[in-house]
Amino acid sequence: MNPVGRIALIVTVTAVAVHFTGVAYAQADFEGIWNPQHPPRMGQPDPASVRLTPEGQAEYESYGPEKDPTLRCLMPGIPLGLVDPYPIEIVQQDHQILLLYEHFHQVRRIFMDGREAPDHWLPSIGGYSTGHWEGETLVVRTTLMSPDNYTWTNGFPYSGDEDAYVIERYRRDGDELTFTGEVHDPRYYEEPYVVNGRWNFAPDGEIWEYECIPEFGGIQ
Amino acid sequence: MIRKPNYLSLFTTLILFVGFPATAHHNGATYFDISTELEHSDATVVSYDLVNPHGRLVYVFMDDEGNEVEWRAELPSANNARRRGLSGDLFQPGDKLTTLSGSPSRSGANFMRLTRVVFANGDVAQITGRNAGIVRAGIE
Repeated sequence: MNPVGRIALIVTVTAVAVHFTGVAYAQADFEGIWNPQHPPRMGQPDPASVRLTPEGQAEYESYGPEKDPTLRCLMPGIPLGLVDPYPIEIVQQDHQILLLYEHFHQVRRIFMDGREAPDHWLPSIGGYSTGHWEGETLVVRTTLMSPDNYTWTNGFPYSGDEDAYVIERYRRDGDELTFTGEVHDPRYYEEPYVVNGRWNFAPDGEIWEYECIPEFGGIQ
Repeated sequence: MIRKPNYLSLFTTLILFVGFPATAHHNGATYFDISTELEHSDATVVSYDLVNPHGRLVYVFMDDEGNEVEWRAELPSANNARRRGLSGDLFQPGDKLTTLSGSPSRSGANFMRLTRVVFANGDVAQITGRNAGIVRAGIE
């Protein structure tokens, strides 16, 4: 086989392998530890700008600190947990991306191999996340989050309905990693609730242990 | 007696983590009236626990009627506080504090979100915000 034919064969075999394995090879390098540099208010929207449905408004008004999972040492969901003022570590593998949070030792698996949430997967605070690349932007879709999740600690709620989900978009620009999160929850919001986050690459950064004692979380 | 911070380790910590927001992720305005600032004077430390999810300082002082009252103050999480040099031995039981400032709890309890402490020797501990850390007396 001549050289051109050999190259064409390699390209074809590779393309077929990628197609059938479903592995979405990384388009950008997010590996490493990142320190938070979130915008004011931790990237959350001005409460006055959030358009709640009447049912969402009622849920919001019923909120109290006893419903804040983090005050009971339970990990936050998405997007609340994404913009905490703690470092994160990102590990990229072919079939998944691991997001390792200092806060509550939370671990997220973003499956990149085309799989979907299995039928037996129960709703949880962290839900089930799948991702794909759009150019150099990592797009993550998280479903199966429970109503124990809150979008922010002022009580903006999350219904956990089947049609509720969160889309995150991550993009690296030099040593800066930015993200936008959209909460799609038509029962509680007239339009998606949007948050923004930003981290700086920290090659010498550290992830510390985060032991948590519930009796020190109570608001008096 | 006011326990002095380890300034060498504090300086190193501040250099390493300058710009790291020293605040809890919680929306303080939900639980505290951040439009109001309380100031308590001539207080004595009862206890101090720097833990997650929040640190806590318990102190007593004399109110306007001359009665000793006990208050609790919330600090950032242990991880965030330590990154800004606010160590677990910053306060010791019996320490005298010139002033404590913070936002009162919306519940009306003797509880506040601590923002600033002035020690008897003039040192200042800024508890929240991007300039959190210790400022030694006489040094701008």
